[in-house]
Amino acid sequence: MQLREKKKTRYAIPTASMGDVAFLILIFFLTSTVFTKDKGLKMLLPEKTEQEEIVKVKPENIVMILINPAGAIRIKASGEERDIMPNEYDEIKRIVEERLFDRDTLLVVSLRTSKEAPYKNMVQVLDQLKLVKVMKDGRELRANKISLIPTSEE
Amino acid sequence: MRKSIIRRFTRTSEIPTASTADIAFLLILFFMVTTVFRATTLRLTLSLPQARSTERILMRRHVKYVWIDTNSKIYIDDNVVTENLITAKMAPKVYDDPELVTILNVDESVNYGVVDVVLDKLKEAKAYRITFATEFWR
Repeated sequence: MQLREKKKTRYAIPTASMGDVAFLILIFFLTSTVFTKDKGLKMLLPEKTEQEEIVKVKPENIVMILINPAGAIRIKASGEERDIMPNEYDEIKRIVEERLFDRDTLLVVSLRTSKEAPYKNMVQVLDQLKLVKVMKDGRELRANKISLIPTSEE
Repeated sequence: MRKSIIRRFTRTSEIPTASTADIAFLLILFFMVTTVFRATTLRLTLSLPQARSTERILMRRHVKYVWIDTNSKIYIDDNVVTENLITAKMAPKVYDDPELVTILNVDESVNYGVVDVVLDKLKEAKAYRITFATEFWR
């Protein structure tokens, strides 16, 4: 009889404080959390070599964008020139998309910004280029070849 | 009838608390995953340019910040840096961590000439992967 009674004793780990522990850690992380606010436009710079490498690109594959100190833009593409005011930057996307559809992956966009031009305008133009997206033969084309021309270069 | 009324009075109402720990742990896991400990808080007020194609940068480890404020002063690691020192500052960092991404926090009113010089110095330091910090379009 006695042996049987001994078998009945039960063991339990107290779990009453579990919630407290959990809330302690929770408050710690609540107070120490900082959400990442990094966001922006990704770019890959070209390598800088001793001798300037000359990459030959056919003129019809180039879209040249020039930004003047006032933020106005001149686009040169396939022999045509167009001036765009800062409030009609949406036009850039349309023009580049047209050229991209025509020239496919060969298209190179070169962005030449004046030294005195505000950084804001340059970013807005870059933004327009990043938005370029064209569907051709079931493929999605984007203006991947963007080159930022150094201001020192003539 | 009478019996049933008495029974009602003896009823006890309870809010089940068994799941509080579960809820708490759920929240913990969420904050553990999303937490980033930041040591640098810069007292600079910049107004970043807005862009429609702004992407979130999910990388946290391989990131270095360069700031340029409205007075065209350049900051790296909380220090004011002259143009000529940028390469010397960045080159060892890129050497240590080839995956390094430089995030350029530049005020929108800064002249592009300043940014261009910084880009040139970053090229010299082999810091080719860069990001122009922008705000979401509103």
